[in-house]
Amino acid sequence: MAERLAIWGDVYRQYWRINVLTALEYRANFLVWFGFTFIYHATALIALWIILQEFPSMNGWNFPQMAFLYSLWMLAHSINNTLFLTVGDVPEHVREGEFDRVFVRPLNALFQIITTPQQIFPDELILALSLFVLATIWSGVTVDWWFVVFIPLIVMGGALIDFAINLVIATCSFWFVRVDALRWIAFQLEQEFTRYPISIYTKGVRLVLTFLLPFAFMNYFPATFFLDKAEDALHLSPFVGLATPLVGLVCFVLAYWFWIIGLNKYQGVGH
Amino acid sequence: MPIIETRNLRKVFRSVKRYPGLGGAVRSLFTREYVDKAAVEDVTLAMEPGELVGYIGPNGAGKSTTIKMLTGILVPTSGEIHVAGLVPHEKRKENARNIGVVFGQRSQLYWDLPLQESFELLRAIYAVPRDRYRANLARFSEILALDEFMETPVRQLSLGQRMRGDFAAAMLHDPQIVYLDEPTIGLDVVAKEAIREFIAQINEERGTTVILTTHDLADVERLCNRIILIDDGRVVFDGGIERLRNEYGTHRTLVVTLAENCESFDFPHTELVEREGNLVHLKFDRRRITAEQLIRAVTERCTISDVSIVEPELEDIIRRIYLEGYQHQAQAPAPSS
Repeated sequence: MAERLAIWGDVYRQYWRINVLTALEYRANFLVWFGFTFIYHATALIALWIILQEFPSMNGWNFPQMAFLYSLWMLAHSINNTLFLTVGDVPEHVREGEFDRVFVRPLNALFQIITTPQQIFPDELILALSLFVLATIWSGVTVDWWFVVFIPLIVMGGALIDFAINLVIATCSFWFVRVDALRWIAFQLEQEFTRYPISIYTKGVRLVLTFLLPFAFMNYFPATFFLDKAEDALHLSPFVGLATPLVGLVCFVLAYWFWIIGLNKYQGVGH
Repeated sequence: MPIIETRNLRKVFRSVKRYPGLGGAVRSLFTREYVDKAAVEDVTLAMEPGELVGYIGPNGAGKSTTIKMLTGILVPTSGEIHVAGLVPHEKRKENARNIGVVFGQRSQLYWDLPLQESFELLRAIYAVPRDRYRANLARFSEILALDEFMETPVRQLSLGQRMRGDFAAAMLHDPQIVYLDEPTIGLDVVAKEAIREFIAQINEERGTTVILTTHDLADVERLCNRIILIDDGRVVFDGGIERLRNEYGTHRTLVVTLAENCESFDFPHTELVEREGNLVHLKFDRRRITAEQLIRAVTERCTISDVSIVEPELEDIIRRIYLEGYQHQAQAPAPSS
């Protein structure tokens, strides 16, 4: 066990070394990405600000609170983008026959996928952290022990929710090869439904965002807890906001189970 | 004891039945009819440690599918496999430590970075001890002259350089067995020779078992002491190159240099394949007529100044097996003298 952890650690270190080297090799591309990421999130926040100029509050949420909501999502999402982005390349590997390689290397298949060198740099994560710190101060969230203990867990849980959904979509490529449509839909839904408190949507959407694609656990439920708001979407206890790590874990376990079924399908088990 | 052993290995692929045309495409979206196709019908083979075996056959014969089962990528439909004492798909990770794989068409090197960086990552993945890693890299650099381009990004390497890099990458963890799938495809003569030299050296120095699938029979002739020929998912020949020549290379060519003009060459079991001035090529079936008999027959009719016998090229033999099938040839009568 210790030996295996040492191997994983070594691979992970080499992987990051290569990522950073690649990012440096293509400096111009990296700078364009960084600029794009910054503008992308800034635009989203400005749009929120404009909306809240028209209405003084959205279902009782003012702009600093909305910024906290957004930054909580952005933090989880950018952790997913930094650590697990390469699952999105699985359909391409499958289509081009590169996926075979995974089976002839002595490591866990999913671990190999998330350590496939790309040109990932934690730039979005740094932006997310900065925004999160600002929004926390600005919205007046109390930074106490609850906050210090739970925020990291919640953010990791949120990242796992994101990761699990991407993993399920990537796994579908073992059957359908092309899954661009699914990917696009999930991405749009996530963009759309993490910006505002889910209480503004109809009941059906709220249920979907809680139980089917649990994006609400990435930011809405935890934000209501830390902002001391009444949870008025589904009228649940505010403590539901602390369930995110558990929800993330459950999502990941389910997605991983599906992934294993997908691997078996790829290897042609039973045929 | 064999290092690789399969018994009645079989792999069936199931796919959704497709109908032709656009209407057909829509129809196959909604019907669930399946078509089963056996890519590997029945393959039984055994290889001893240190053997260098050419696994050959026409496109679609089942070569890649067999290799994928041996490497643990695919799970067989039925039959048994043992590779270095393991069932590859059951002990995938343990098996992966024992094997090295080179796919000639695909690289495992990282496109954007110097060769060195790919090797470093592979060292970590296979947990190769540092000193072993350094020793291997030094030895491979020596045989493959990697030093020239160790610091060059892989995307800038020539195909020959990249393949040399890929070979080193596949051998860094001292695999007992290497599977080489079309390793010399697209390479020029010099690069091919470098790769063949490397395979021969590694096999000799380390006793590595090598399975080579290729369409370039010069690879096989240069390297392999044994050929396994597969067609339609079955093994149709398994043995030494000499035996293949003896059993299937039944036609030889007698090249005669005429001293005087001579016109008629209709000898029994003989075919005039080429005539160029006073040089005449006569192809004969050595099972039915011996070289000696033919030479005597020719000299009775013509005055000749020189004769030589050309052995059939391995490529010709194998092409004939693909085209004409194998059984009737093997069962043909022995030469009567």
